[in-house]
Amino acid sequence: MTVEIPYGVQERPDTGLWNAKLGMWLFLASEVMLFGGLFASYATLRTYAPDWPKGSDFQNIPLGTFNTAVLITSSITMVMGWASLVMGQFGKFRLYMGLTLLLGVLFLGIKATEYRGKFEHYGVTLADGTVVTGHVESQDASRVVLLPDAKGGAAHEPMTLARSQIKRMIVFGPWYNTYLALYFTLTGLHALHLLAGVLVNLYLWGPGSRMWQREPERFTHRVECAGLFWHFVDLVWIFLFPILYLL
Amino acid sequence: MGFWRHYVFSTDHKMIGLQYLFTGLVFLLFGFSLMMLMRWQLAYPGKALPLIGSWFGESRMPGGVMLPEFYNQLGAMHGTIMVFLAVVPIAFGAFGNFVVPLQIGAPDMAFPKLNAASYWTYFVGGLIMFASFFVPGGAANSGWTSYAPLADIATMGQTVWLFGMVWLITSSLLGSVNLITTVVQCRAPGMTWMRLPFFVWTQLVTGFLLLLAFPPLESAAVMQLMDRLAGTSFFLPSGLVISGQMLKATAGGPDLLVGGGSPLLWQHLFWFLAHPEVYVLVLPAMGVVTEIIANNTRRPIMGYRALVFSAFAVGFMSFLVWAHHMYLTGMGTTMSTFFQTTTVIISIPSMVIMAMLVLSLWGGSIRFNTPMLFALAFLPMFGLGGLTGLPLAFGITDTYLHDTYYVIGHFHYVVAPGTIFAIFAGVYYWFPKASGRMMDETLGKVHFWGTLVCMNVIFFPMFIQGMAGISRRWYDGGATYDLAKNYLHLNAWMSWGAWVMALVQVAFIVNFFWSMKRGRKVSDNPWQATTLEWATPSPPPHGNFPAMPTVYRGAYEYSAPDCAEDFLPQHQPPASATMGATT
Amino acid sequence: MSIKAVHLLFITLATLLALGFGVWCVQFQPAGNRALYVGLGAVSFAAAAGLVAYGVWFIRKLKREGML
Ligand code: HEM
Ligand SMILES: [Cu+2]
Repeated sequence: MTVEIPYGVQERPDTGLWNAKLGMWLFLASEVMLFGGLFASYATLRTYAPDWPKGSDFQNIPLGTFNTAVLITSSITMVMGWASLVMGQFGKFRLYMGLTLLLGVLFLGIKATEYRGKFEHYGVTLADGTVVTGHVESQDASRVVLLPDAKGGAAHEPMTLARSQIKRMIVFGPWYNTYLALYFTLTGLHALHLLAGVLVNLYLWGPGSRMWQREPERFTHRVECAGLFWHFVDLVWIFLFPILYLL
Repeated sequence: MGFWRHYVFSTDHKMIGLQYLFTGLVFLLFGFSLMMLMRWQLAYPGKALPLIGSWFGESRMPGGVMLPEFYNQLGAMHGTIMVFLAVVPIAFGAFGNFVVPLQIGAPDMAFPKLNAASYWTYFVGGLIMFASFFVPGGAANSGWTSYAPLADIATMGQTVWLFGMVWLITSSLLGSVNLITTVVQCRAPGMTWMRLPFFVWTQLVTGFLLLLAFPPLESAAVMQLMDRLAGTSFFLPSGLVISGQMLKATAGGPDLLVGGGSPLLWQHLFWFLAHPEVYVLVLPAMGVVTEIIANNTRRPIMGYRALVFSAFAVGFMSFLVWAHHMYLTGMGTTMSTFFQTTTVIISIPSMVIMAMLVLSLWGGSIRFNTPMLFALAFLPMFGLGGLTGLPLAFGITDTYLHDTYYVIGHFHYVVAPGTIFAIFAGVYYWFPKASGRMMDETLGKVHFWGTLVCMNVIFFPMFIQGMAGISRRWYDGGATYDLAKNYLHLNAWMSWGAWVMALVQVAFIVNFFWSMKRGRKVSDNPWQATTLEWATPSPPPHGNFPAMPTVYRGAYEYSAPDCAEDFLPQHQPPASATMGATT
Repeated sequence: MSIKAVHLLFITLATLLALGFGVWCVQFQPAGNRALYVGLGAVSFAAAAGLVAYGVWFIRKLKREGML
């Protein structure tokens, strides 16, 4: 026996809301506080740090920009998918939702390559104390071949370093410095959110869409909720991109 | 199948409320037991614990003598369990779930499946916390506050603690979204905002506190996990030396720790949650007490609107006072000044609520039943807790009192004889609704008086010890410190108070289970109450109300003039009320 | 607030980001590779214009379909 809960689909006249929409907004409010805590930590740690690296020393800006564009576009397709449902065009909804999914996966894929790039990058402290950062082309027990990062148009040729020349070699993981720690934490959490969004959208695009036949209005509401979440996740990126890549 | 559906995987808010209640009470007892163990070490430091001392194994209590490491685990887990696994789940999870939909005339919570999910995430979080006692190094041992850098470098139990917290935070997120939506959307026809019982208001404000204050702790937990598992230094300063050794990265790649992190950042994020959290502990308690006082004084509650606005003021302000826990951290006098001011401001609305409740007693014909006794005792006990907060609010006095037993006394007066009394009051009061039977009054009174006396024996001496300068962190209760020597005898008093109080709780436990089967059967509305939860059978059926109720008036129409009965239920149509008056 | 309003807010912020990024490319770009960043900046300014145009189209469409 199931109990009929009021205002699951219809708007309640005095509040102008249906339940799931209010629930979604409350959830998003708590998400704002979650990311807010991290942004505040970023600001604090950066303010009190004696020096702070430039994002562009660690990031591939054109790739990051492209990824930003991917995400913005996906919000547009998402809203189009919802609008198609409101206009009763289920076929178009499938198309737009499919596009949203592809763009979401593309974003995650590019993010993954960015992550992999970090784990091939090292900061190498030489015996004389100088630090060279760069992409490690190959390494074995006796030597390391390093392609140094181009800084100010400096020479851009691979250099071969004997192990004995190297005092310490640290990969660009979260432990490398506080900037990278924040980068991995923030983008990692963001990527997890995006992954959750992709899974929800996949469900709504696939098996979940059968609800359209039975309860079109409720299904449209579900898509709207998913769209609100998707927009939120994209909005977070709009703040993450400048603070991690540009400033 | 029927059993599992009905009792275990239920989506009925009443059953979920009871699940919260049972689990929460079990954790309450468990957390209390941890403290009773600590009290042995404090009263008789270094002595072997008789009888059960050998149960804990060589790694915890060799020869029955408690190791400092184990003492620290007990302390950290006592706080964690009491706050996150016992009091909040009972005050918000159990009462919020069971009572709120009934009081607003809703068939269930707005999202029944989410409701079940919230209970089960809580349950898993609880299991994880419990299991952490058995990992290498034992449970978390850096206090319930998990201050960095201590917690960053603590044993594995801390990692488990952080994972457990993530589950608990998720649970409270689901619960608060659900409760707020329910109150906003599912009120019965005629149940306007200003007709809501005050209990519902307190739950609503509590929901917002949980919703907005917990996430920053979650971000802090993520960062602490990164520190512990991925070698970052969010909360680790540069050049940290431990036992004469430069600290190395805990995990991940290199042997180098970048440092440059901020231990203070953890404290800010933690207290940004944990101060609102103390109002999460107390607001529902105020709500319960209000219901019971109105019912048992048989008169309308004083200043209903003032109560509602004060609850909101408290909720809002509680986000602006967190750093009063940090006066001694060196965060600076400007910050201290700001937070002293806000802390004093927040006492005003709390005071308004207390004043209204006390004034409500004026001229009432009071019924002294067990729920009312607990509710009445809440007032002076909470009042004492609140008053002793004021010297802590000012940096100049807090400099001396900080980290002494005075602080422990302060917050236990608000939470233990305060909130926990309200919880007991609520259990006695709503028991007939959940079971259709009354709890026994005699056992109830034994329980009440015994607990009241013991609570004060336990906690009052803490003020004295604290003012003498005894630190809350000493493992031997001060035995090796000269300044404590005149106050050591109090330790045994407090410990015996705790152990006797455990015995008194037997009266409650026996009463609870005995009454479930054998208690006196009662009508649907045994307390002659006005609110909607009494307008349906006890226990209420699935879906709560045989027919959707309509609400005609405010929540506390007791002893209304021109009315034969001394109470006028919210759902009674006005016509029949006039009829009642003329006959 | 419905998804329509959220979308418009989102597009507004995205436009601001595109403008800001354009300025960054021209003014603060990392050393070396100047041509690349000037190009990126130009694209970014164009994208900002495009987003504005899209936003206007979106509002018009909502009006046309009676969804506003
Ligand atoms: C109404 C006025 C209140 C004031 C002015 C006040 C003030 C304070 C201050 C300044 C501290 C920090 C003391 C220190 O660490 O040195 C403190 C600690 C504490 N207060 Fe209150 N408080 C008040 C009410 C409450 C209430 C209602 C609760 C809970 C229901 C509460 C729970 C706590 C807890 C749990 C701690 C200590 C946490 C810890 O250090 O482990 N307080 N209070
Ligand atoms: Cu506080």
